[in-house]
Amino acid sequence: MPWAKERDFEELKVRFKGLQIEEKPTLTVVHVNQRDLIELLKELKSMGYKLFIDHSVVDFPDKRPRFQAFYILYNVDERKRVVVKTWTDGVLPSIEKLWFAGKWAERECYDMFGINYEGHENLVRAFMWETYQHFPLRKDFPLEGYTTEYLPSLNEVVLDDNLQGLMNYDRMHTPVPTLEDLEITEKKRLKKKAQIVLNWGPLHPGTHGTMWFLFDLEGERVYQCDVILGQLHRGVEKLAENEMYNQFLVYTDRMDYLSALCSNQAWVVAVERLLGIEDLVPEKAKYIRTMMSELQRINSHLLWLGTYALDLGALTIFLYAFKEREKLMDIIEGITGARLTISYTRVGGVRMDLPEGALEVIRAFIERFPKELRDWETILSRNRIWLRRNVGVGEISKEEVYFYGLTGPVARGSGVPYDLRKLEPYDAYSEVEFDIPVGENGDVYDRYLVRLEEMRQSLRIIEQCVNKLEKMPRSAPFFAESPDPKKLKLPLDGIGLKVPEGEIYSSGENPRGELGFYIYSTGGVKPYRVKIRPGSMYNLCIYPRLMKDRVVADAVTILASLDPVVGEIDR
Amino acid sequence: MEGLLAWLIITLVKILVILGIVLGIGAYLTLVERKVAAHIQRRPGPMVVGWHGLLQPLADGLKLLTKEDLYPRYGNPFLYNLALVMALVPATLVFAVVPFGPEFEVLGIKVKPILTDVNIGLLLVFALGSMAVFAIALAGWASNSKYALIGSMRKAGIVVSYEVVITFAVMGPIILAGTLSTYDIVQKQIEQKLWYLWLQPMAFVVYMFAMLAETGRVPFDVQEAEAELVTGFTVEYGGMKFGLFPLVEWYIEVLSLSAIAVVLFLGGWSPINIPFLGFIDPLFFLGPLSPFVWFILKVSLLFLFVLWLHWTLPRYRIDQITTTAWKVMLPLTFVNLVLTAVIAPLIWR
Repeated sequence: MPWAKERDFEELKVRFKGLQIEEKPTLTVVHVNQRDLIELLKELKSMGYKLFIDHSVVDFPDKRPRFQAFYILYNVDERKRVVVKTWTDGVLPSIEKLWFAGKWAERECYDMFGINYEGHENLVRAFMWETYQHFPLRKDFPLEGYTTEYLPSLNEVVLDDNLQGLMNYDRMHTPVPTLEDLEITEKKRLKKKAQIVLNWGPLHPGTHGTMWFLFDLEGERVYQCDVILGQLHRGVEKLAENEMYNQFLVYTDRMDYLSALCSNQAWVVAVERLLGIEDLVPEKAKYIRTMMSELQRINSHLLWLGTYALDLGALTIFLYAFKEREKLMDIIEGITGARLTISYTRVGGVRMDLPEGALEVIRAFIERFPKELRDWETILSRNRIWLRRNVGVGEISKEEVYFYGLTGPVARGSGVPYDLRKLEPYDAYSEVEFDIPVGENGDVYDRYLVRLEEMRQSLRIIEQCVNKLEKMPRSAPFFAESPDPKKLKLPLDGIGLKVPEGEIYSSGENPRGELGFYIYSTGGVKPYRVKIRPGSMYNLCIYPRLMKDRVVADAVTILASLDPVVGEIDR
Repeated sequence: MEGLLAWLIITLVKILVILGIVLGIGAYLTLVERKVAAHIQRRPGPMVVGWHGLLQPLADGLKLLTKEDLYPRYGNPFLYNLALVMALVPATLVFAVVPFGPEFEVLGIKVKPILTDVNIGLLLVFALGSMAVFAIALAGWASNSKYALIGSMRKAGIVVSYEVVITFAVMGPIILAGTLSTYDIVQKQIEQKLWYLWLQPMAFVVYMFAMLAETGRVPFDVQEAEAELVTGFTVEYGGMKFGLFPLVEWYIEVLSLSAIAVVLFLGGWSPINIPFLGFIDPLFFLGPLSPFVWFILKVSLLFLFVLWLHWTLPRYRIDQITTTAWKVMLPLTFVNLVLTAVIAPLIWR
């Protein structure tokens, strides 16, 4: 487990009064007073905890001060993590000077909890519109809605038409943004400095989802750029607080909808670690999960490759990639019964055993696939036009990776070998051999090469898993047996699964970066607070920096190379 | 008086034939394009309407024609519609100076299969080609949309750059032939027993580049750029108005410029050429039809080449395109021009 130990902070204890270090089996926490927070974070950053992972708060309405804020940092040299915690009553110092990614995390906290950040340059709402009055993730947010508010239907707003009966949504009690609200939001984000403001999105083929970019253009050069998120915001974190652990599994599908299996895996591994039953999961289940999530990784990267090539005008690669992706979808459908939102894994194993013939099909696929990959590389990798569009565009340095909290292929493209499959191996990743490809220059082209190589490495992992699974007997268990069913109920459907008090930060390597779950449990069948660390969101936060002084044509190149999925950004 | 009447009738027939061929073929090239693209992408393409989708263009046309006629609320309706005319007319007019074959006799009347054999034919071609930029600039401006405006400005930038390049590229063949008349250029090539391609390979490559750029084909389709600009300057057009722009740009202009390329570099209607020795005609059994078939064959080959590029390559960025035009293509054409001016008199005088 890559968590820092208490002895690492002996020096800090002398410097900062009231510094408490708590070492739990699941994570290490440094408690600090609010006024020492910035100093401590600075100190930690100079100690090597350079990569920003996540920041949010947990709401305890009965306590004073009310909010417990946590910062998760990663030490890139010694490869360990630490959680810094502090209590606040609604005001926190901003860490935007230390980590830019913190700026976005703070905006989210401001949006969801109403925390004010002192010294934040542009404290605007992250997901909701500016005129929204409430703070959804606070515990006192009424789930049934505010009775003073009401949700007018579109017909009412546009046509002044009062619908009756079931079509009348009067009782929903939820405010919705009007066009004026959106205009206020837009104005607040970007002050026009150049010639024209181009609304790029929310519905635009180049944004790969419903993201709303504002480009302030000087001719075709982007003078400044901002993003308005939240078009796909569904409040997944709030839902998590009100669903059982097994019920929340299906929401992980819908976050990063292109890599549902990886998200599923990250969630169940987090819960298993919190329960302390990681070792109970049978080997077969571990191998199946690993194999499936690598298939999903190839699937996701294929979609990225296809749309990326499509964005750059290479229309044919799109269909080539989709053809192979279709085969993968069929394989996944044959094994799990679903193509997109899969929910195959369970806390303690997988939902069902592999069907007969599944391994043969996968083996046939992995034998065929490298040839296809070579074909595409012949068309693209050394193509002069491709090189001119990609090389030297959107360069990210190593320091920027830490500063912006980038993970996944984006970080690896800049030469940071940050891969959770190696750092904190879950399931069968510790038992299979694979390499982490890294880039040199950190430009778009390097990220492209890294992703292509990742597909090859995934094939290696799948092959090893298939070899292992073929040797296992069919009767081998695929679901964990509880050692003491009275103490720990571990049913296949997950109903009645009780998690003891505790907290954990556990993450999985998604195709788009680190998907982390911070789970705070006060016991019972529901988590008290779940903070999801979306890889896509932090990867996107460097986008305005990269777009400065570039032309509109590079917007698609850079955006596609960051490969965000809106479902995960907005949650 | 009789001569005038005959001339009128012949001209009218020519106009009808050319218009029918150009517009009919233009529509059917959509099917060709879709089929070629489909087979490059390992799929069958349109198969449902008619045998192997042969009636697909008609179905598409019908669909486009029956769509609601929309125009942007704050746009300028007059300019908006004028852009369509400006796009279609010059592109079609280029075919007035395209020679389809050698002179032949019908009922004792000598007919040249070219609408008007004016002695400044090539000048007319490039003058009309420059008109295309007006259509696009107008379309972008009248749509009152930022995407359309950016798209049209991009296209204007490209056309301005490549008009210069293409004009200098065709100087070589003009010097060799000593005339601007398209019909005479082909005649000269036949007399000299030489396709100008053999002496002007550099000019030919530059010409093909410029042709791709002017017609907005991949790798130069920045004014469309689905991913960034949706469809660029056509974004506010709907129905058949929307259909006209690709029809003009991608098919009629590509066809006309391919035909000019064939005239200038590939010896028009002449069969396969062995430099300075003569021509070999494997299609001799077609008799008097053979030149026409050769002409169509060459144009189709060039067209298929364009399609092949379109469905294989990614696209350049606008600044890279204009840089290529001014810094690479234009000096190349200058060098070519000087070389031709020096060599041509040595060979023929």
